[in-house]
Amino acid sequence: MIKIENLNKIFNENTKREFHALKNINLEIKNSSCVILKGISGSGKSTLLSIIGTLLKPTSGSIVVENENIAKLPDLHASNFRAKRLGFIFQSYNLFDTLSVKDNVSIALIPLGFNQKQIDEMVLKALELANISHKKDELVYNLSGGEKQRCAIARAIVNNPKIILCDEPTANLDYDNSIIFIETLKILKNLNKTIIVATHDPIFDNLNFVDDVINIKNGIICE
Amino acid sequence: MKNSVFFNFLFLLLSKHKSKHIAIFIISILIVFLISSVLFISNSLKKEVFLTLDNQSDFIIQKINSGKILDTPTSWIEDFSFINGVKNTQQRVYGQYYFMPENVYFTIVGVDLFEENTNKNLKELLKILNISDFLQKDSMIIGNGIKKIFDKYHYFDSYDFKLFNNELSNVKIFKDLPKEANLVANDLIIMDINLAKKILNIKENESTDIVLNVPNNLERQNIKEQLILKHSNIRILQKETLKKEYENMFNYKGGIFLILFIIVIFTFILILYQRYSMISSSDKKEIGILKAVGWSIKDIIKLKIIENFIVGFMAFIIGIVISYIFVYILNAPILKNIFIGFSNIQNDFILNPNIDLSIIMTLFLFFIIPFLSAVLIPVWKIAVIDANESMK
Repeated sequence: MIKIENLNKIFNENTKREFHALKNINLEIKNSSCVILKGISGSGKSTLLSIIGTLLKPTSGSIVVENENIAKLPDLHASNFRAKRLGFIFQSYNLFDTLSVKDNVSIALIPLGFNQKQIDEMVLKALELANISHKKDELVYNLSGGEKQRCAIARAIVNNPKIILCDEPTANLDYDNSIIFIETLKILKNLNKTIIVATHDPIFDNLNFVDDVINIKNGIICE
Repeated sequence: MKNSVFFNFLFLLLSKHKSKHIAIFIISILIVFLISSVLFISNSLKKEVFLTLDNQSDFIIQKINSGKILDTPTSWIEDFSFINGVKNTQQRVYGQYYFMPENVYFTIVGVDLFEENTNKNLKELLKILNISDFLQKDSMIIGNGIKKIFDKYHYFDSYDFKLFNNELSNVKIFKDLPKEANLVANDLIIMDINLAKKILNIKENESTDIVLNVPNNLERQNIKEQLILKHSNIRILQKETLKKEYENMFNYKGGIFLILFIIVIFTFILILYQRYSMISSSDKKEIGILKAVGWSIKDIIKLKIIENFIVGFMAFIIGIVISYIFVYILNAPILKNIFIGFSNIQNDFILNPNIDLSIIMTLFLFFIIPFLSAVLIPVWKIAVIDANESMK
């Protein structure tokens, strides 16, 4: 369970450029559910996703994940939390273009202290699940957009995380690859992952495996 | 984090980022090469000069009249020998001989082959000598620079020195000295002391100067005073003073270079800092990705420090090796002459390896610490900002 209470995020606080990105957010996300955060660009959905992913610290409020408040974790604990319990999928894939698919995926396992043999096994399993194992030695630079997204999915699931966060995952994909991505999400949901997708893509409307759609506008959750 | 896995990834990144590091790598090699070359040359010359000076006598005494240096009467040898604490008093004969066709001067040194206290350096040079053969005719041993000039003018066996009274004195070339002796003997002609006096127009009962030793260094000031009491019209040169003068000269020349190199290093570090401050979007993205997948700031800084340490260390080692080859195998062309300064005969002396490990270690620290700091500060600044921001 992810429980968010009275969450606020203010950028450039007490300056002329002060911006209140999230205003008093209260939210509960059940384990193994799939939640869509909907809203236009600048609505605050990506900020909320980054705070849940401990990449940003909130100005006030709390986020409790499995009885642990992760809102203000110091860097060492926050990175440990991300390494063990989170998987990120980004709009622009965020891969190392000059490394192979396999090497990109294995990066997420390095902080966890596995040996090379364990890493190789886990990477192969993740690549198969993301349906990209046939390109494992290919440089990311040479992949198509859809293949890059599958590589990013493999990296997000390689550490077997409980929570998968997706930030505009279909923004750079064509319709066919977006459908493939949604099918993969469905598989992950069936593997009991908690999935949170921040998007404004209508393709996510009316999906049968989605448990909740949360609309965000100007940093506020709209009922 | 397993070290083996971490280093696998590190070397993978290094191999993929070759082009990113190449400019800094080459500039680093160049800087290390230049600084270490200067240090190697300066150390080598210092060692040679000090070895030569160590073998010199403690005091050199010259006769002075109205500020002009004159030939010294050999009768003074006896006067000085009677002073308690003075040892090995002897005359020295040397002087310059002008060789008109090349507009250069040769240094003629007269040696008393039967004198026990002949300078240790000369003794080394004369080891190869068969004294009886050498004395049979007027003979000389010549340095490598003089040999080249004589060969050019076809004086293969002997040379006719022009005396003060316009007569000629034919002197046989007995041997030429090896190139290894060039630092001290490149423009040197060694001959019997009486022959040298004849050529340099020094009277039989006079010499160029008188040298003596004072084994007890606490006595030296006292003996200096006694020497002046014996003969007031003298100039006394002490070995310690000469050593200090040479040391100052090398430190001065080396210092000028070091100041220049410190400026170069400082500029380089600024450029390096600038390069990492304006770190490219791909570098920022990398750091952001690593953070997002669970790398801590500590892990990222460790990765970047070791990555750059390897680049800096490799550049340092290559710079030192190239410098060693340049100085001790190629004999430091151009740079060597800046150190040796004015030399009337082209000197091709050989630099003997003399490497001071403490200097290399100091150079390493002075190079690597600013190098890593210039990288670390901007990387740390990026690593602590929001990963989303870095990945944009």
